[in-house]
Amino acid sequence: MSLASRVRTWWKAVTRSEQLNGEIEDELAFHIESYANDLMRSGLPHDEAFRRARIELGGVTAQKENMRAAWGTRAWDELRGDLRYAMRMLAKSPGFAAIAIGSLALGIGANTVIFTVTKAILLDKLAVSHPDELRLFAMTQGGKGVVHGMWGYFDNTPSGKTLSTSFSYPVYQLLRQQNRVFQDVFGFKDYGRMTATIDNKAEVVTSEMVSGNYYRVLGVHPALGRVITDSDDAAVGSGPVMLISDGFWARRFGRTPDVIGKKIEINGTPMTIIGVNPPDFTGAYGAQSSPDIFLPFSMQPIAAPKFKSSLLTDKDLWWVMIMGRMKPGISTETARAAVDLDLNAAVRATMIVGKDDEVPRLDLEDGSRGQNAAAGDFAKPIYVLMSLAGFVLMLACANLANLLLARASSRQREMSVRLALGAGRARILRQMFTESLLLSIAGGAAGLLLGYLGRNAIPHLLSSSWEPTVMSSKFDWMIFGFTAAISIFTGLLFGLAPAWQATRTQVSSGLKDNAQTATQRRHNFAGKTLVVIQVVLSMLLLVGAGLFVRTLMNLNHEHLGFDPNNILLFELNPPGTQYSPAKSTQLYHQLEEKFSAIPGVDSVTPIEIPLISGNVSNTGVILPGEQQSSKKSRNTAFMDLVGEHFFDTFSIPVIAGRGFRPTDTETSRMVAVISQEMAKQFFPDTNPIGKTFKASEQSTDSIEIVGISKDAKYYTLRKDPSPTYYMPYRQNADGEESMTFAVHTRMKPEAIVPVLRDAVASIDKNLPLLDIRTQNEQIEDRTKQERIFASLTGGFGLLALVLACIGIYGIMAYTVSRRTNEIGIRMALGAQSGRVLRMVLREASWLAAIGVVVGLGAAAAMARLIDSMLYGLKPYDPLTLGGAALLLFFVALAASWIPARRAASVDPIKALRHE
Amino acid sequence: MAPKQNDLLQGTLDIMVLKAVSLGPLHGYGVLLRIQQISGNRLEIQQGSLYPALYRLEHEGSIDSEWGQSENNRKAKYYRLTAAGRKRLRTETEKWHDMADAIGAILSATPEEV
Repeated sequence: MSLASRVRTWWKAVTRSEQLNGEIEDELAFHIESYANDLMRSGLPHDEAFRRARIELGGVTAQKENMRAAWGTRAWDELRGDLRYAMRMLAKSPGFAAIAIGSLALGIGANTVIFTVTKAILLDKLAVSHPDELRLFAMTQGGKGVVHGMWGYFDNTPSGKTLSTSFSYPVYQLLRQQNRVFQDVFGFKDYGRMTATIDNKAEVVTSEMVSGNYYRVLGVHPALGRVITDSDDAAVGSGPVMLISDGFWARRFGRTPDVIGKKIEINGTPMTIIGVNPPDFTGAYGAQSSPDIFLPFSMQPIAAPKFKSSLLTDKDLWWVMIMGRMKPGISTETARAAVDLDLNAAVRATMIVGKDDEVPRLDLEDGSRGQNAAAGDFAKPIYVLMSLAGFVLMLACANLANLLLARASSRQREMSVRLALGAGRARILRQMFTESLLLSIAGGAAGLLLGYLGRNAIPHLLSSSWEPTVMSSKFDWMIFGFTAAISIFTGLLFGLAPAWQATRTQVSSGLKDNAQTATQRRHNFAGKTLVVIQVVLSMLLLVGAGLFVRTLMNLNHEHLGFDPNNILLFELNPPGTQYSPAKSTQLYHQLEEKFSAIPGVDSVTPIEIPLISGNVSNTGVILPGEQQSSKKSRNTAFMDLVGEHFFDTFSIPVIAGRGFRPTDTETSRMVAVISQEMAKQFFPDTNPIGKTFKASEQSTDSIEIVGISKDAKYYTLRKDPSPTYYMPYRQNADGEESMTFAVHTRMKPEAIVPVLRDAVASIDKNLPLLDIRTQNEQIEDRTKQERIFASLTGGFGLLALVLACIGIYGIMAYTVSRRTNEIGIRMALGAQSGRVLRMVLREASWLAAIGVVVGLGAAAAMARLIDSMLYGLKPYDPLTLGGAALLLFFVALAASWIPARRAASVDPIKALRHE
Repeated sequence: MAPKQNDLLQGTLDIMVLKAVSLGPLHGYGVLLRIQQISGNRLEIQQGSLYPALYRLEHEGSIDSEWGQSENNRKAKYYRLTAAGRKRLRTETEKWHDMADAIGAILSATPEEV
């Protein structure tokens, strides 16, 4: 019993079947000849001897088959036979094959694309050694929390506390010194954009700041050069070095190894490239995309000053992210408790903690995917898309099951013959499943191709047109495995019904010619159930499409309160190394004037936070003689810093008082224009013009209200305008690190941008224009998720209609062809053709009606789950539900019209003669 | 369909083939002749089941085959016992003797012994 000989012989039988065949023939021929010779010697004549030799051996063909089978090839041979047969069957009906493979390809392709995105966002881990050992430090604090200054990711917990993953640098240092429970603790920060000057050309790069032990603890080795080490991060300025990402290396340096040792300027500070990251490594923040450059914290005060001169000594601003690598044998809870004590001590050592103040509590989160902020934003939409794509696939399966069922019935005679000839039912089941698996694998291959081609479609849709793609979807084995699994699963799913029917075939009844009429009712039950299921699924997909398309339409027709047309936006980000707050304000003012003078520019305004960007600035509003904790429902308002011509540029009417004037400068009295909503809520009974307020209780500056403007949407389309006030940017003493400019012009962006760029270069040639886009593009960007949903679900809905149409047509055509005899008898007995037509249509409408009613219930339940993603309509939107129901109903009727006509035109003589 | 008598042979055919081949390499027809000769023509092998049995034994690794010249200078496939086959022949032979003893004991039993 040796495995080797089994494998060797099986392999030979399978791969060299011709040679084996020849050998068997030779061997048997030798046998026959030897035996015949012996027989002749005993006196038989030549021909008789050979005849007897052949007879005693048994048929040569049967012998050959048995000998091959002795080498264990039975299963293989049968599979090959089934496959060949299945392919022949498919080739005989190419239309059926095309519909089957096409609809499967769409279903599987859609699922593959969506799984690709799901995997990238929800499943991909950091490309570091043992990412599961990493824990991300997080802290939560309530309303009385001691931490006020935060820069980074934060979220509200269900209990109303604030959760953040940022810490101050001094706290980070203390936590690392005190660490006993982790192998080591490191810090990092996605620092955002910096200006890199490479060979005298300025461009914008994204950056991550890392601690000296970052690479060592993560276990990441450079593709080229060396990594940042502790000595680079020892003291301020000790490591003017950086690593670059593989992507940046390829994009900017064409993968030349000479890049090691190259000096480039970061925000004007000369720094040396010491290494290139491995291609998979994306930093510790997230697994989707990598920052361009990685530099040590020690360079922060020199190359990237922000807010204050050095963030490394700032005890109030919390901004550093911290990760630790678990020690084996220490539980997360033990570690958390230990670090929580350390955090408490560190906070008390670095900050003043009052009697009522709350020290934040430490949490440890799974760090294997980094911060993975995208997972929070996209998890729900992704689940919704996955479900809808799943429905599409189920619909395609139901459709195929239906088509196969109809075919199986017409093959009932064939099955009966096979059974009569001695085929086992298991053998016939296998044959049926081979056919459905062949179809599903062909569909899966086509779907994989679609998925491959479409792999970047969604990431592309998710990113802004003016920014590089947020993530790249890598096509890998996991996705291939997913598609393969889904193909086999669908094959089994839609192969089930026809296989079940095949086994129920009765030899005796199947062979009788008119068996059809006798068993017709029972047989159709499976098909009709499938049609109802198809209608229900189509209903779900149509309602989904309707809701998302209407959401997008509502958002597009939303009243903005400002005119977004002919406005070009771009951002300037003067490096803090060269521009003090006062100097940057001066720069903006200079540019404002320069831009206004350009021919073709109607008006220009700097604006701190561009409209409909998802960002917003919020301040307190303290009226004179009032405590912050007064009874009023609100004491905060949105605020935006703008230029003199803001209201003209955005066509927001000032309805009382005045707008801003050139005389509202750094040194003049602070003024504000408030929105109508703010006037209504804060000054319900009085004229606010001339009144004053303060932005906080501590503030000594009082702001005078000089005008009231109409309401305009600020940060999102989805919310009605909140109380908002506008102030001249020049009156903000802190200055702004970056400023967006809004230019109202009728010129095309391509024409005006070079002129604007020249204008900036005439003041500072190292200052690039960032994020150039129109205001309308900015708005579209904020509705991109709705856009993706509307287009994807719209596509799914259309597909659903087509599939439902095919399914209903198929089942009705099949029913009619089976009932030809019955209809012939009816007509012979005097039924009018109109009556027959109505009879068939009535049957179809019943099926559709049941499906639509069940579908309405399911759709209403589904819509409640996606309520938060809709805008301007209720989840049980009657227009969408009613529209989908009617549409589906009419499609069902239309699809059964042709079979109904055929039934109505049955010639009774012909139908009965057939009997 | 083969008659029932074949089932008894099926189990024993393998041993007989192994035994025949153990006495020296043989081609298929030679196996047939040798079994008939040793058994003194008391056993008639079904020719139809011989070759599948040979292939099965080769598949299981008990015998090996190679092409050679027959006595009358024809190309013929010769079968030879492998080491695994030799071991199998030994155990199967023991089993057969045990079985034959047992059946013999049963058949020769007299009423007194029961």
